[in-house]
Amino acid sequence: MLTRLHGGHVVDPVNGVDEIADLYFEDGRIVAPEGRAADVEHDVSGHVVMAGAIDIHSHIAGGGVNTARLLLPEAHRAHRPRPADTPLSTAGWSTFETGRLYAQMGYTTVIEPAISPHHALHAHLELADIPIIDKGFLTVLGNEDFLLAAFRDRASQESIVDYIGATLEATRAIGVKCVNAGGVDAFKQNIRHFSLDDEVPEYGLSSRQIFQKLQQAVNATKIRHPLHLHMNNLGLPGNVETALATIDASQGLPLHLAHVQFYAYGTEGKNGFSSAAAKFAEKINANKNVTVDVGQVMFSDIVTISSDVMKQFNSLPGGRPKKGVIFDGDSNGLGVVPYSYRVSDFFNAVQWAAGLELFLLCDDPMQVFFTTDHPNGAPFTTYPEVFALLMSADRRAQYCSRLPAEVLELTNLPALKREYTLYEIATMTRAAPRRLYGFEDRGQLGEGAVADIAIYKLQADRAAMFRNAAYVFKDGEFVVREGKVSHYTRGRTLRVRPEYDRQIDSRLDKYYEGLYGLPRALFEVQDAALPASARFSEVPCRH
Amino acid sequence: MSNATLDGKSISSEDAYEQAAKILQEASFPLVAGLGADVAGAQAAILLAERLRGAFDHLASRDSLTDLEVLRSAGVFVTTPNEARVRADLVLLVGPGLQSYWPGIFDRLALDKETIHGGTSKRRVLWIGPKRNEAKLDGVEIETIAATEQDLAGVLGALRARVGGRPAALAPAALKKIDAAAEALRAARFGVAVWAAAGLDPLIVEMLQGMIADLNVTTRFTGVPIGGRSGATGVLQASAWMTGFPPRTGFGRGYPEHDTWRFEASRLVDSGEADAALWISAYDGEAPPWESDDIPLITLGPPGSAPKRGLFIAVGKPGENYDAVEFAQETSSLVLRRAGAPAELPTVAEAIAAISAKFSEDLPC
Repeated sequence: MLTRLHGGHVVDPVNGVDEIADLYFEDGRIVAPEGRAADVEHDVSGHVVMAGAIDIHSHIAGGGVNTARLLLPEAHRAHRPRPADTPLSTAGWSTFETGRLYAQMGYTTVIEPAISPHHALHAHLELADIPIIDKGFLTVLGNEDFLLAAFRDRASQESIVDYIGATLEATRAIGVKCVNAGGVDAFKQNIRHFSLDDEVPEYGLSSRQIFQKLQQAVNATKIRHPLHLHMNNLGLPGNVETALATIDASQGLPLHLAHVQFYAYGTEGKNGFSSAAAKFAEKINANKNVTVDVGQVMFSDIVTISSDVMKQFNSLPGGRPKKGVIFDGDSNGLGVVPYSYRVSDFFNAVQWAAGLELFLLCDDPMQVFFTTDHPNGAPFTTYPEVFALLMSADRRAQYCSRLPAEVLELTNLPALKREYTLYEIATMTRAAPRRLYGFEDRGQLGEGAVADIAIYKLQADRAAMFRNAAYVFKDGEFVVREGKVSHYTRGRTLRVRPEYDRQIDSRLDKYYEGLYGLPRALFEVQDAALPASARFSEVPCRH
Repeated sequence: MSNATLDGKSISSEDAYEQAAKILQEASFPLVAGLGADVAGAQAAILLAERLRGAFDHLASRDSLTDLEVLRSAGVFVTTPNEARVRADLVLLVGPGLQSYWPGIFDRLALDKETIHGGTSKRRVLWIGPKRNEAKLDGVEIETIAATEQDLAGVLGALRARVGGRPAALAPAALKKIDAAAEALRAARFGVAVWAAAGLDPLIVEMLQGMIADLNVTTRFTGVPIGGRSGATGVLQASAWMTGFPPRTGFGRGYPEHDTWRFEASRLVDSGEADAALWISAYDGEAPPWESDDIPLITLGPPGSAPKRGLFIAVGKPGENYDAVEFAQETSSLVLRRAGAPAELPTVAEAIAAISAKFSEDLPC
């Protein structure tokens, strides 16, 4: 069945399209009509037509998110009456709602950024339960004994590449994240602060050495997504120096730095806390091998979910409300601490401003990614408001008028008049994620791409425009109409399968038997463990 | 023997599914309880409760909620048994009967072996309030602090006080022993407390976690909870991601509401608020806890566990008769258990699907 969308303003940066144009799709793919008449027509004049948006870093599944649900029963009371024919569509903060709410904003692919390898099955069960959108996750490496011992013992890079390949295969992940490299292990040994050149006891490795070796090895696996790095010293005053030093240490190789707003802090002013976004952005602009996502803060009640258990432990006394879960996992960690960003709070206001400064001062929207580090900086449901802030200096000025006066002296935000265009928004949320994860089939509207299409009614109120997509097609199926899900579908889970030498498997089997006295298979994600709704799709590696 | 019975008399599976659907569909507020099931079975059961606008509870909710109430009111420090195995230089066992709640506990914690990570050392093992003759393990010297179940809160309170350098009103000999234990806890590099909520009052768990938080001011200390029976922790996880809430959640208003009193299974049945019940206990056929015996009842359990009254449909044992995902105490994670004794019995999820297939069309979705 050939479908034609006509009269819409197509914004498709990958193909350089920014004009009124027709779009055809059939059997779930964008096609060229080749003179055929469409079976179905949709008049989308007055609308903007984009590829489905891709969220590169959002905590939507796994043990951390589920712990947050249990920690905060007060945070997700459901209030809406139950629409017909939609199982669990009224649960407040469920897997079901995650898919529904993302789809209604025109998002069709979302990547969960932090799953401990031993908890991969749990994450896949949750992902399989999220309707409509495609999804995937990053597996977390860089604090486990197997890897640290290999680095310490100067194991060959080939063996590290094999280890990464085996882990990606066992966990069915789409890439590799590293969190506070070495710091999570150090915290188990009662170290409370861990910076780039601090060493992990017993291994004699600095955080710098760990992330660099892991970065090189990830690059050598030929998976498309570079090492996804959560740096040291998150949230601390003056930590921009850590971020700058990390970029200097990035070896000219691809490196993704996560939620960089949380590293854009200087020490100026009487509180010893200021925005250092300008300095940071300048560095990002000058280092094209590095990509960043922002992790924008918005003023709302949130919960922080992070594998940086050292940071989370240090955050406990400031929790809002004051409670939290600190989990020392197998070769990993997790902390869940609730928080509330307040416009009247000096520190929170600086954080809010620093994030926007980064967005506005980073020149290339292919290099800077749109995230709130959901739910750490803000819930993903605030995205439309963040888009509106990026697109309107006036709207930012309105916000600034509510900030504590002293904050405005410590940020450059009021002076920044840049306003993102729709083309730049589409670049940041479609074209750039496509390149970052090496997606060949999405993030664009060229022939052969999946028919994941988000259509927004052109409005002056950009937040309203992006909050409720007028129409969304997922794999060519009509799933959202006027901001409401009209049809539920099942998306796929995206994974990579790089080649590796399978001899590593027997080494790992022996390691697990020796250390835990358990078969490694107990931690692997196997088909028999997954429901029929878990469908996988492979993202190709570099050739 | 038939795989389905009605009031103890054999009936066909088809008839059983038909009748089960009729009972549930005619109820105005049905209860899905027991929930002794694997993750897929729990998911099917929770979806069923939602579809029927009923409520659901797990047979070991009391134990899950003991830990959960501490988690959601104050927070917790936890680790995995395997991290304890490789790293814990001090293990603090709390309360009686730990091995009955987790038969594999000592094998998994490897208390007789040296630590591997964070330095190699012999472990120090303390046990507060073991049963008589319980604190014995080959190759391990277990230091015991006697406490009856009634004393446990007081002893733990005194220990927490002494860890924090605060006074405790104890006789000199008892104080000396508590002080020695407090000193041992403070001297641990990576201490791990192990407890089973099933044997404890929530205030004891809160006291224990408060002490762990205090210890983390200067050293590292954390805990390993022993989860509830009949898949309680796995069901809790599935319930959380599906509804946002743990079991004891109802859908009567058309959206999930969680209330540990309102949606407690026995109360719902004995008060008459629930007017039909689906009782699931696939692991061992545990009987329902309520007193009322006139509620229309459907039981899913292993063969041979049919109650005298009501409808019974035999299902396989998860992880034994069919491949199943459940929470593994030994790894603190969801794992696949391969069937060691496959049987021609429906899984919990299949039985629920077969019942649901008999609902008349007018039930939403």
